[in-house]
Amino acid sequence: MSCDADGHCVTCSDEGVPMRVVATNAEGLAVCAGGVEVMTDLVGDVEPGDELLVHAGVALARLGGREADG
Amino acid sequence: MKYVDEYRDAELGRALAAEIVATVEPGRHYKVMEVCGGHTHTIYKYGVDDLLPANVELVHGPGCPVCVIPMGRVDDGVAVAHEEGVIFTCFGDMMRVPGGDGTLLEAKAEGADIRMVYSPLDALRIARENPDREVVFFAVGFETTAPSTALTLMRAKAEGVRNFSVFCNHVTIVPPLRALLESPDLRLDGFIGPGHVSTVVGARPFEFIPADYGKPVVISGFEPLDLLQSVYMVLRQLADGRCEVENQYKRVVPYDGNPQALAVLAEVFELRPHFEWRGLGFISHSGLKLSEAYRDFDSELRFAVPGVRVADPKACQCGEVLKGVIKPWECKVFGTACTPERPIGTCMVSSEGACAAYYNYGRFARERVVV
Repeated sequence: MSCDADGHCVTCSDEGVPMRVVATNAEGLAVCAGGVEVMTDLVGDVEPGDELLVHAGVALARLGGREADG
Repeated sequence: MKYVDEYRDAELGRALAAEIVATVEPGRHYKVMEVCGGHTHTIYKYGVDDLLPANVELVHGPGCPVCVIPMGRVDDGVAVAHEEGVIFTCFGDMMRVPGGDGTLLEAKAEGADIRMVYSPLDALRIARENPDREVVFFAVGFETTAPSTALTLMRAKAEGVRNFSVFCNHVTIVPPLRALLESPDLRLDGFIGPGHVSTVVGARPFEFIPADYGKPVVISGFEPLDLLQSVYMVLRQLADGRCEVENQYKRVVPYDGNPQALAVLAEVFELRPHFEWRGLGFISHSGLKLSEAYRDFDSELRFAVPGVRVADPKACQCGEVLKGVIKPWECKVFGTACTPERPIGTCMVSSEGACAAYYNYGRFARERVVV
């Protein structure tokens, strides 16, 4: 009933997962590796190759390799 | 994998552990609370606590969203799930949380249509595909998860999906921390702040901890090196006589959070006057319900939710575990009457729960070096 082999549910644990955008679809969702569909309303427009921090189907932040406060 | 591997380097970990040993004051016992259940999971999975001197104790906080759900809310969910025509959806771990009258998994076995989803968007999709059924999403989680529910509701409203509603159990992180800090039996030296909640709310909301209670806070990432560095930063503040909010997780957490996320939360939710927490009792302004603009999507208005109140089982000491007063293995039923297969308390359900993490990874009290 859990979400990974460790019995660890990343959704329930308030944990974000790094994911890479593969495409966008007609619903306005980003499709990430593994076919996971992600809402990107909180991070603006995304393109294939962008890295996102995803939690419960929402991108909470971009993983741009720079510090969030610049 | 990028953003992961570089934060799991064993050599760097040992170097950080040596820095920690060099920073602690001999003979002083330090208690540092990691607020977030995801941190608890990382600590046990990677044995982070084994790298710390014995006088640096990690205390596991109330940040596991499954662990803080009171039994009565589970019973309410089960009651809605049994309603005619309902498809009840929830995250995986919620299926095994015991209410006063069984779990959602048991209700499913009895015939209720209960389905596990990975996100509220999945629940909305089920609603679109089943227009003649009522689809309910059991929403749990802190400010990390609440934006997902909010954005899903905004989509449902924009699309005019009428057969979708949310049984809202979202909670906020600051009120329980304040309640813990007011607790007379708690003695903590500092906090490791929740990284992904802070992605949404920022680091600023935690400033009350140093300002009002004189304790350092370090917002931390979730990889083992993140946690080791955050422990070091808390100890460094204590050694320097400083007390402030520091952000170890700058690669993801902006100090002021995500303004778009805060805006959608403000539109879709409003604070409840009070909300019950497992083991902690009622805490003012700690829970969210749907705002007036989204009342048509509120399961508690759409269905006859019984509003069950159930006292925590007497044998269960989840409250003391959540407050860090006792360690999981000090609970009378730990590993005997209460196991992950048959949990009594919520801390044994989710692998982020302190009890389940101890149980699964075998972190019993052990000999460590005292500095």
